[in-house]
Amino acid sequence: MTIGKDLWAITQGQRLLYGSAMLAMAATNVFMFAAPLIGKYAIDVAHSRDLAAGMPILVALTERIGAEEPHIAHLAVSALASVLLTAAGGVFLYLRGRWTAIASEAICRHLREELYRRLHHVRAEFFDGADTGDLVQRCSSDVETVRVFLSADVVEMGRAILLVCTMLPILFWLNAELAWLSISLMPFLVLGAYIFFSKVKRVFEITDRSEGAMTTVLQENLTGIRVVRAFARQDYEIGRFGEKIRAFRDNYYWLSRLMGWYWGIADFFALMQIGLVLIAGGFMVIDGRISVGDFFAFTTYVSMAIWPVRQLGRVLTDSGKAVVALTRIDHILTTPEESASPVPPAGRAKGELRIDNLQFHYAENEPVLRGISLHIAAGETIGLVGAPGSGKSSLIRVLLRLYPYQGGSVCLDGTEIQHIDRKWLRRQIGVVLQEPFLYSKSVADNLRVARADAPFDHLVAAAQDAAVHDSIMGFADGYDALVGERGVTLSGGQRQRVALARALLKDPPVLVLDDSLSAVDTGTERQILDALARRRGRHTTIVIAHRLSTVTHADRILVLDRGRLVQSGTHEALAREIGPYRRLCEIQGELDAAIAADLKASSAAS
Amino acid sequence: MTDYDDENYQDGIDERRAAARMQTHLWKRLFGYAANHKRDLVLLGACSLVPAVVETLYPLITKGVLDDIEANGADANLWRWGFYYLICTVALCLSVGGFIAGAGKIRCHVSHDIRADAFKNLQRLSFSFYDYRPVGWLMARMTADCERLSNILAWGFMDFIWGSALMLGITIAMLVINWQLALVTLAVLPVLYWVSLKFRRHVLGSAREVRRANSRITGAYNEAIMGVLTSKAFVREDANLEDFRGLTGRMFGASVTNMTLAAVYLPIVTTLASLAIGMVLLVGGIDVYYAPLTVGTLVAFMAYVRHFFDPVETLGHWFAEMQMAQASAERVLSLIDAEPAIADSEDVRRAMATQRHAGERRQIAMDGGPAQVSSIELRNVSFGYDPAHPVLKGVNLTAQAGETIALVGPTGGGKSTLVNIVCRFYEPTTGQVLINGMDYRTRSLRWLQSNIGMVMQSAHVFSGPILENIRYGRLDATDAETIEAARIAGAHDFITALPDAYQTDVGEGGGRLSAGQKQLISFARAILADPQVLVMDEATSSVDTETERFIQQGLARVLAGRIAFVIAHRLSTVRHATRIAVVHGGEIVEAGNHDELIAAQGRYAELYRQQSLREATRGWAALEARATAMPDRA
Repeated sequence: MTIGKDLWAITQGQRLLYGSAMLAMAATNVFMFAAPLIGKYAIDVAHSRDLAAGMPILVALTERIGAEEPHIAHLAVSALASVLLTAAGGVFLYLRGRWTAIASEAICRHLREELYRRLHHVRAEFFDGADTGDLVQRCSSDVETVRVFLSADVVEMGRAILLVCTMLPILFWLNAELAWLSISLMPFLVLGAYIFFSKVKRVFEITDRSEGAMTTVLQENLTGIRVVRAFARQDYEIGRFGEKIRAFRDNYYWLSRLMGWYWGIADFFALMQIGLVLIAGGFMVIDGRISVGDFFAFTTYVSMAIWPVRQLGRVLTDSGKAVVALTRIDHILTTPEESASPVPPAGRAKGELRIDNLQFHYAENEPVLRGISLHIAAGETIGLVGAPGSGKSSLIRVLLRLYPYQGGSVCLDGTEIQHIDRKWLRRQIGVVLQEPFLYSKSVADNLRVARADAPFDHLVAAAQDAAVHDSIMGFADGYDALVGERGVTLSGGQRQRVALARALLKDPPVLVLDDSLSAVDTGTERQILDALARRRGRHTTIVIAHRLSTVTHADRILVLDRGRLVQSGTHEALAREIGPYRRLCEIQGELDAAIAADLKASSAAS
Repeated sequence: MTDYDDENYQDGIDERRAAARMQTHLWKRLFGYAANHKRDLVLLGACSLVPAVVETLYPLITKGVLDDIEANGADANLWRWGFYYLICTVALCLSVGGFIAGAGKIRCHVSHDIRADAFKNLQRLSFSFYDYRPVGWLMARMTADCERLSNILAWGFMDFIWGSALMLGITIAMLVINWQLALVTLAVLPVLYWVSLKFRRHVLGSAREVRRANSRITGAYNEAIMGVLTSKAFVREDANLEDFRGLTGRMFGASVTNMTLAAVYLPIVTTLASLAIGMVLLVGGIDVYYAPLTVGTLVAFMAYVRHFFDPVETLGHWFAEMQMAQASAERVLSLIDAEPAIADSEDVRRAMATQRHAGERRQIAMDGGPAQVSSIELRNVSFGYDPAHPVLKGVNLTAQAGETIALVGPTGGGKSTLVNIVCRFYEPTTGQVLINGMDYRTRSLRWLQSNIGMVMQSAHVFSGPILENIRYGRLDATDAETIEAARIAGAHDFITALPDAYQTDVGEGGGRLSAGQKQLISFARAILADPQVLVMDEATSSVDTETERFIQQGLARVLAGRIAFVIAHRLSTVRHATRIAVVHGGEIVEAGNHDELIAAQGRYAELYRQQSLREATRGWAALEARATAMPDRA
């Protein structure tokens, strides 16, 4: 029932147009039905050679013309009238099509935009473990299902029902007995179709699944083609794919056979309905209970109505799909959004951070940050190190208010961040994420994401600081090169550096680099660190890294271990202290005495 | 997933140009796929013919009933006509069932056969083919395009037979019954066909515009989800929505245009048809009045006229659809026809054929050459897609069994290209690669590649259990062997910590694993494969330092007696290599072992110095000093 309400709700704003479309459809039916009726009278007149058997209006019209041959004039008037009526019906047919199109498209446009907006405003945890493919499918194919339902299925249903409703009074008016016979098989046709399509849904699902399995194998083979070749597994892969396409083929054929049975039988019923009218009508003509014209009208009407009615059962089952699609869409639309403060603060933050006994977890009973306390002065450069899973990235997420923390406090310039407007807070922090994301726009537009109105030379300056200017100039279109599959494909290191340039262009009070130089080679990293050194003091800077060379320059290095802050101090101090930092140093081999000796020996030799 | 149509990707096939005129050669080739199922095709043809015949007979039955009544009054034998009607209906329904199942069968068989052929060829094609074609593009050809073409071949064929037979049957019936009336009806035909074809093309053209807009929208959703953290961090919510509104606006316009065109088309057809019916009513009615024509004939005629226009519409649709689908046809056939740039020579193929008869011997490989790889030598190897920008320039490098060759140097220097050439994924443009002193082009590609194990930076795992993923390296390996390989690769600990251990399903694309874990699995796979040549391209770049050190210990054992090529950024991992080659700008600028290169004070020493922690610290301090004291040198 709530689905019915949902369906009703999404039509808001378009109901008038939708209603008009339905009215136009009713009008079409009236006109389209009038034409055979005119034919009936014309045939009766021609057959009985008596103008009195004609349709009163047309007869009057014929008499008004006053032609020499009134019978022929009557025929001409009838023919013209049926063409005009069909044409008038055609106009309404067009209006129906146009209005349904606008109404259903407008509804879907609204749905699409609402989904898109919602995806941007839901909390970050919504995407934890969410399947991107599935979400995209909800937004695209499920909306498409709803669109088809609104633009075609509803219309189809309305058409069949209106057709029968228009036809019935005419038929009963012409002859009640034959009218009963004319619709006797129709209920079976609708019911049979409904039952069949409900039962066969399972086969549809099996076929869809086997198609999905085929697509998965294909996708994996193509993305892993290097692995396939590296292990010379071509024959194995051909066999595996062969299995999947055979299964899909056989399931599809199974479905086709079922459909063959269904339509064969359904058509038999439909045609028997027509045959019934044909033969029974013939007997009634003999008995004189109906005229030849009536006979013509009955056979024509029944063959006009039977095919849409035959579709009705299928359409009814299809509407079940729309209900499922709508539920899936609703799942996104009802997800709570991030809260927003009514009055965002103005101005620029100083960049002083104070964290006190911070507690954070993604899932209950799996604490990620267990009571971290630290203070970072405005303009300070902090290096953050620790094993994977020690909570470095989570700390950054908390800082950006992407995730709410469960205990303790985080203050920016002395204000608890949970009381600061999210958007304002995020404008104060420039972050380069671990796996940086670039939009499929030009390089320049990607940079301008940080600052829409930045002049070109600022872009260049930021790109130079991030040591990516030369790479960009190497693209055929330079800064106008499109990023992504429609344009240039960037290497991992280039992506990281563009993302860094973007963060630098933002020139934020707080700059965060989350392991964002990992794919950059050491020479380039050196260049970048030099540039950052020149900017020292301009931002509070937090650098997360695995490679120690990235953090050694920091004013202070913080070491995280399983959600706790275990060490803090300058590189020199920590390297002397017994603890995880020194172990990291040792493991990286950078304090290897033998190599130091090597270096010393060779520099002494030169 | 985007659709990789003209909107998103340029592949040299222009949809508009491809649709400009009918290209019969494409359809002839594709029809060959349907013709392979001759029996089914003949059956489908027969099943399509029957409805046409029956539909021609129906109005004759109506006419029979009416004429019988008129001639014989109450004595008319209507049961006879009922019987005819029943026979016709049974035949019709049987053939309806037949053609639906038959067209379904042709359709799924044709798409199966096209897919099988294309996939087989894709497994043969060289990497240079893949370099220019994104996975999504290939997927679109193998899924949507295959379906579209097989749909045309099956249902188009069916409708073509049905439509032309029905039009022919009705024309003959009308001409026989009353040729004057028939000519009246036929006069409308050319107009209707012209309108039909013209409109269909417009409708399909605007449908393409809808598809394009739709694939942009799907892309935008994808981007919204993938980039959600970035969008939030840069407060892009409103700006993104504004961009998106442009796309939905485009979609709205295209869809409404498309549906409006269809809405215009239908009334025009019905009005044209009613024009014909009206003319028949007038001319026929006069004839009935003056009595040469029976009422039965008139009613039958009007029924004929109404049915006459159905096939015109349908045929118009299929012709337009065929033209529009020609770009798809070209693309799919290009997959099937593409020749691999690298393939076994005639001689090798001949040798392999004779070898198969010779049976299996351990020392002899499948192509008759020695099975052992005792040396690999690159002699003056150059490579490049574009002669003006060679990726490799005159590289010389030798590796004997038991040696490990490390390749170091900046990104884009040509390291990966070099190992790809060793694996013969690409062949040198000039120069030679010698295996055991013989050009590797004289050996079988399959032999070489099945003796090389390669571990890549972007490790690929297949959906399914971890155990099966590792076993991919050697399909007949036992569980114990597989687990042992994982142990050597340093993957055992993290795997056993997972809820289902080795049976854990890694999800599509290994979504449930970290990049480092994927690298370990792909490393285990290579160890299990036990290849004579091992190539590691940044194989452990995402693995944490502690695990990497563990791997280093096991690696010495794995590499014993083998040739290995190792690419690494972290120089600590390559220190123990037999030889280190510094690749820079497509050339080997330095080569030697670690101590020699350090002593040489060249690029390697510089790289090493940069990475050295103490050096980094000193450099930093020096830099700061320089920045403050000597700005002119900065």
